[in-house]
Amino acid sequence: MTGINITQLDKVYDSGTENVVAVEDLSVEIDHGEFLVLVGPSGCGKSTTLRCLAGLEDVTDGSIRFGDTDVTDRRASERDVAMVFQNYALYPHMTVRGNIGFGLKLSTKLTGDEIEEKVESVAEMLGISELLDEKPKALSGGQQQRVALGRAIVREPSVFLMDEPLSNLDAKLRSDMRTELQELQADLDVTTVYVTHDQTEAMAMGDRIAVMDGGVLQQVGSPEEVYRSPVNQFVADFIGSPSINLFTADVEGDTLRGPGGFAYELDDPEPVGERSRVRVGIRPEDITVVDAGRNAADVTVVEPMGNENFLYMEMGDHELTARVRPAVRPAEETEVSFDFDEAALYLFDAETGDALKTKTDAVDTAVVGTAEN
Amino acid sequence: MREQRRKDAVWRFLTYAFVVTMVVVMMVPLYWMLVAATLPQEQFLQFPPRLIPGTAFLDNFAALQERLDFVRTIRNSVLIAVVYTLLSLVLCSMAGFAFAKYEFKYKEPIFYTILATLVLPIQLLVIPLFLLMAQLDWTNTFRAIILPWAANPIGIFLMRQNMKSIPDALLESARMDGATEFQIFYRIALPTMRSSLAALAIILFLFQWDLFLYPLVILESADMYTIPIGLAQLTGFQRIYYDQIMVAATLAIVPMVVLFLVLQKQFVSGILAGSLKE
Amino acid sequence: MATSDETDDRVGETYRRRAGARVRNATRQVKRAARPVWDRVRFARQDVTAATPTLPRVAYLFIAPFFILFGLFLAFPVFYTVYLSFFEYQGVGEGSLFWVDLGPLYVEIPQIAQLSFIGLGNYARLLGNDLFWQSMFNTSYILAIQVPLMIGLALALALALNASFMRLKGVFRTAIALPVSANLVAYSTVFLLLFNEQLGFLNYVLAGVGVGPVPWLTDAFWARNTIIAAVTWRWTGYNMIILLAGLQTIPQQLYEAAEIDGASRWEKFRYVTLPQLKPVLLFVVVLSTIGTFKLFAEPYVITGGGPTNSTITIVQYIYRQAFVNFNLGYASALTVVFVAIVSVFSIVQIKIGGED
Repeated sequence: MTGINITQLDKVYDSGTENVVAVEDLSVEIDHGEFLVLVGPSGCGKSTTLRCLAGLEDVTDGSIRFGDTDVTDRRASERDVAMVFQNYALYPHMTVRGNIGFGLKLSTKLTGDEIEEKVESVAEMLGISELLDEKPKALSGGQQQRVALGRAIVREPSVFLMDEPLSNLDAKLRSDMRTELQELQADLDVTTVYVTHDQTEAMAMGDRIAVMDGGVLQQVGSPEEVYRSPVNQFVADFIGSPSINLFTADVEGDTLRGPGGFAYELDDPEPVGERSRVRVGIRPEDITVVDAGRNAADVTVVEPMGNENFLYMEMGDHELTARVRPAVRPAEETEVSFDFDEAALYLFDAETGDALKTKTDAVDTAVVGTAEN
Repeated sequence: MREQRRKDAVWRFLTYAFVVTMVVVMMVPLYWMLVAATLPQEQFLQFPPRLIPGTAFLDNFAALQERLDFVRTIRNSVLIAVVYTLLSLVLCSMAGFAFAKYEFKYKEPIFYTILATLVLPIQLLVIPLFLLMAQLDWTNTFRAIILPWAANPIGIFLMRQNMKSIPDALLESARMDGATEFQIFYRIALPTMRSSLAALAIILFLFQWDLFLYPLVILESADMYTIPIGLAQLTGFQRIYYDQIMVAATLAIVPMVVLFLVLQKQFVSGILAGSLKE
Repeated sequence: MATSDETDDRVGETYRRRAGARVRNATRQVKRAARPVWDRVRFARQDVTAATPTLPRVAYLFIAPFFILFGLFLAFPVFYTVYLSFFEYQGVGEGSLFWVDLGPLYVEIPQIAQLSFIGLGNYARLLGNDLFWQSMFNTSYILAIQVPLMIGLALALALALNASFMRLKGVFRTAIALPVSANLVAYSTVFLLLFNEQLGFLNYVLAGVGVGPVPWLTDAFWARNTIIAAVTWRWTGYNMIILLAGLQTIPQQLYEAAEIDGASRWEKFRYVTLPQLKPVLLFVVVLSTIGTFKLFAEPYVITGGGPTNSTITIVQYIYRQAFVNFNLGYASALTVVFVAIVSVFSIVQIKIGGED
């Protein structure tokens, strides 16, 4: 039973002249067998966090525990972890067999025959038995990916670490591997930490998602949680595709007044409190185009997707996106009126970005994580 | 149109004529050497000179061998050049790896100090090295020839440049697989550097093979001579035996020409690598 | 035709692969038999690794062997040459410069040479020495003719071999680059014979066209030309290879654009090739200048510096002073001047070439 316990992790790079804080006060608990996805824009500290878990970077402060063992000061090879790298990092001069067996050869007391046996059974599991005597150069991207996985699996580690392992594959292969990876992880029942910058991938794969920004952990939760109940504007903006529509509105009594004549009277003004300005967020799929809506915007572009249409509109100088049924297809350069449900509305503090109100509407699971464009 | 075509044809002809002339110019000295090496001295001294190879190569060789043990001379040269090349490859690749892949204090100053010596001609060092070797009692030894340039600035520069291209992930992956730093170096970094190592090996080998002034100063007895020293001694004798000298020159040049033909790609990349030292 | 070739290839490929697999299987079996032994070796090595403490400064271990040799045989001698140039050498050193006696540990730094300080005496002597100026003149003369000649030839050859209509490029390139592999002293002895006044091939050919025997080695003017010819023979191919590589990096589109603009052959060379090739060309010039400045083996073997010192080069003069006359202090001063000139040369060349 190996969960991961990260407590108040700090990582500061000392570049001689200045200190760069890569990760700040990060604490998270990961259960045994859980698939946790670290997601965020580039430079948010997600890869650094993973490398700290791997033992490739020393932590500046805080501790890391795998199960009951404190591994903070252990070498990478003594942590019982395996890592899959973004570019696979296959040893170019070794055959697939050599690549998969290298770790066992260096750090276990298995005999050569036992290693051979293990390598072959892992290769069979991944369907690459035919390729065992090839060099990595002769393999396709997908095959290299499998070898990289095989190299991690064969060591039977207590923790898997994956650093954007699918980002070098083409779109079709990527979604296939996504499923395969999830099944594999479920079968092996190994705690996994997975880093990606792609929120769609994060939503699709993670048991839970940890959203990071500027070295700080913003929120940890199930895909649905971070989507429906983001703790702040950053998480709301980062999760979901196309991203949420955000604009600033002035509060006049119970009415929100935004750009381009936007006005909306809140049924329940309580979350706004005494604030005179708030940030308003509406998910594209929550906007419905109706004949007589309370607000209006100019359609600039319509993108038909087949199963749905994306409307790009302008409300004053503010851009607005809507996802609508394929039947709704207004002409470009026309004005449409739209509506939304107050239950679907997000409100954030204009200064801090903290969430004041999030979705309270009925769960419509169909919209979670299926968006891909 | 026709006018233009005729001009082009003339241009092409002139270009070919030039290149072929140059090829002939390059080949004549080598052919001349081969002919001279196979003629008995009396025939060689005739005028007009003979241009067709004779059959006296082995006789000339035997005569040469009697005056100066040239087989031993060649063996010395090969031994020195091979040991030097291997030693220098090890030193340069190790240090180059450290400069490419590790962070450590004073890394930049140390590296640029080494790099600065790249522009210094080796003649600069002959006098102090001679005194140093005399002091160490190393004169007339191979180690005095091999050691000084084993720490070769070109070598470390090239190795650092090339080692930089090894992805960090590859080394980290090995680190996670439980490899020690030294294992990472020789099991991962070195094997991925094969072609660069080959190019550097050729640069180093040729450097040592052609070294003349320094061994001339250090090597004293005939049994320690390298090829350049042995040949220079032959031309310095009272009576010059051209046939024997040409045999010696042939033995010095032909194996390298063959090596060049076989490993042409590596030679060219060696020349280019050695020349691209900024 | 193409299809049948392809089929042949494929058949060959299959055969090779099958043969390869058989060999691999055989070796694998051999390896398997030897495995228990290897396993024991491996385990032993793992134990050693585990027992060795991790070294925090591993990078220093990687550079230490290099750096020790570098310091002892490169850095130290450089400073020692400069130091020596202010002294008169009086003999091999005896006794110690200093020593430390700590009971069982006894460290002694021997004195390298017996010296007496003469300040700038060596430099003053050098400036007033005719042979020094003679060697400077000889070197400069050879340099001034040899480098332009060689670079010109190398560039012409590179351009010719880079021409689109040229066939047999590989063969020509190999033939012209062949001298690169010739040992310096060995090829010099060949030239010694080639340019021999009575027996040499060159005078034979010249006699054929009615030109009397040229005193290649015994006349001051011709002796210098002989050295120039020899060096040019040895290094033209070397420079051609570098220039050819430079030419091949020039994008083809530039020539096509010039073609469309109606540029002539010369204009294409002048306005496309030359500016694009400039850095490589400059580099080759610097390299050749320094190389020719360091000339030693060729005059040593071919002319011995003669006749009457008309081909003695700077390095040869240094060699004579140091190892024939044993004026090591004076020779060091010469070396310092020599290195200074070489450095100035390359800096000036780079500066000139750097301006557009």
